[in-house]
Amino acid sequence: MATLRDVRRRIQSVKSTQKLTRAMKMVASSKLRRAEKLLLQARPYAAKITEVVESLAFRTDAKDNPLLNEGSSGKVQMLVVTGDRGLCGGFNSNVLRFAVSSMRNITDKQIDLFVVGKKARDYFLRRPEHNIADEYVNFWRGFSPRDATIVSQKIISSFTESSYDAIYLVYNEFKSALSQKVVIEQLLPIKPRVETVSIDSTEDFAAESASEENGALDTDYLYEPSLAELVDSLLKQHIEFQVHRAFLESYASEQGARMTAMDAATDNAQEMINTLTLQYHRARQASITRELIEIVSGADALSGS
Amino acid sequence: MQEQTEKLSLAIVTPTEQLVFEQVDELRVPGTEGDFEVFPEHTPFLTSLRPGVLSYRIGAKIQYFAVSGGFVEVIPDRVIILAQTAESSDSISVDRAKKAKERAKRRLESANKGDREIDVERAETALLRAVARLSACTLAGKKF
Repeated sequence: MATLRDVRRRIQSVKSTQKLTRAMKMVASSKLRRAEKLLLQARPYAAKITEVVESLAFRTDAKDNPLLNEGSSGKVQMLVVTGDRGLCGGFNSNVLRFAVSSMRNITDKQIDLFVVGKKARDYFLRRPEHNIADEYVNFWRGFSPRDATIVSQKIISSFTESSYDAIYLVYNEFKSALSQKVVIEQLLPIKPRVETVSIDSTEDFAAESASEENGALDTDYLYEPSLAELVDSLLKQHIEFQVHRAFLESYASEQGARMTAMDAATDNAQEMINTLTLQYHRARQASITRELIEIVSGADALSGS
Repeated sequence: MQEQTEKLSLAIVTPTEQLVFEQVDELRVPGTEGDFEVFPEHTPFLTSLRPGVLSYRIGAKIQYFAVSGGFVEVIPDRVIILAQTAESSDSISVDRAKKAKERAKRRLESANKGDREIDVERAETALLRAVARLSACTLAGKKF
């Protein structure tokens, strides 16, 4: 049986935990608002650069640029993006679990990991069967487009130098404050979009428009400087931006996940406080009753004698 | 339909925001291989940007932007500007641009004197960017 004082102490402790979770929730929600705004503002650029890259990839020969071709080393690299900090529900463990299970599906190739975020690094350091090729941690607190620049430069140089077959990106995609979805994307080599000339449009039309565009645009298009140089720098910019966008998605997801987790924690703490308060009142009532009985029976004994 | 000439639809986007999405009459762009102008029915054209001043005209109104590199795709009736950064002359602080210019100059000077700590490339782009900002302000007739 818990004494009055024990119960009181527990209530106090739960209350201070609740204060903490509530503050964390508030911080996360304001960070989420900022992150959501950044993400939204990045979307037009995403749409436009994809448009330009696609139309360019359509008119350029894949052999001309190493970024459009698979390497031949039998190795792939996987970028796993997590946060630096915990206390955000299933955010980190979802990515990690997804990464591990998709690595199991790639059986015929050696997999090098590029871990982004402290949680991913710590997780894979504890599991030495995975090979960590590179890491980028402790940057989320003040993260900026420069982080994406640094990471994408590392990726591009390792892709061209170690001739990876492919580079994948695993991260949390932001759906809403309440839900995130782990996705895997192929970052390199850049696949020319097949949709633009896909079979679902009628074949005649596709053939016609393809020949028309090839014929007409190839001759009429002007490039300054040369096409090869443009493709190279445009693709690099494209990669950099893809990484930046993934970081933004992941950051917004992390804040969303933390906000939800801390909201739930605050509710749970409240529930616990209610139960404990009830227990406290019971214990107090019991002790009062006991004292009364003692007094009454004491008085009885005196008057009886 | 008199006076109703064709217009260009212009989009200026940067990784952090969409700045402009408008119908313009005329556009002037700082390309890496030289400045060029775009009118409606321009031939398809793809080029990269250098740090400089980009301007466009709608009727009699001219807008100036300081841009710092990126890409431009021109399709007969449409122009997409993928800029690294772009600032409208209205939003540029002349004081800050001046200070940035001085800072970049100092850094380049001390790099010339043999200071190896300094990233020359970064200082150079910073200088170019500051100059672009200032000239955007000058062109827009902003008071110094």
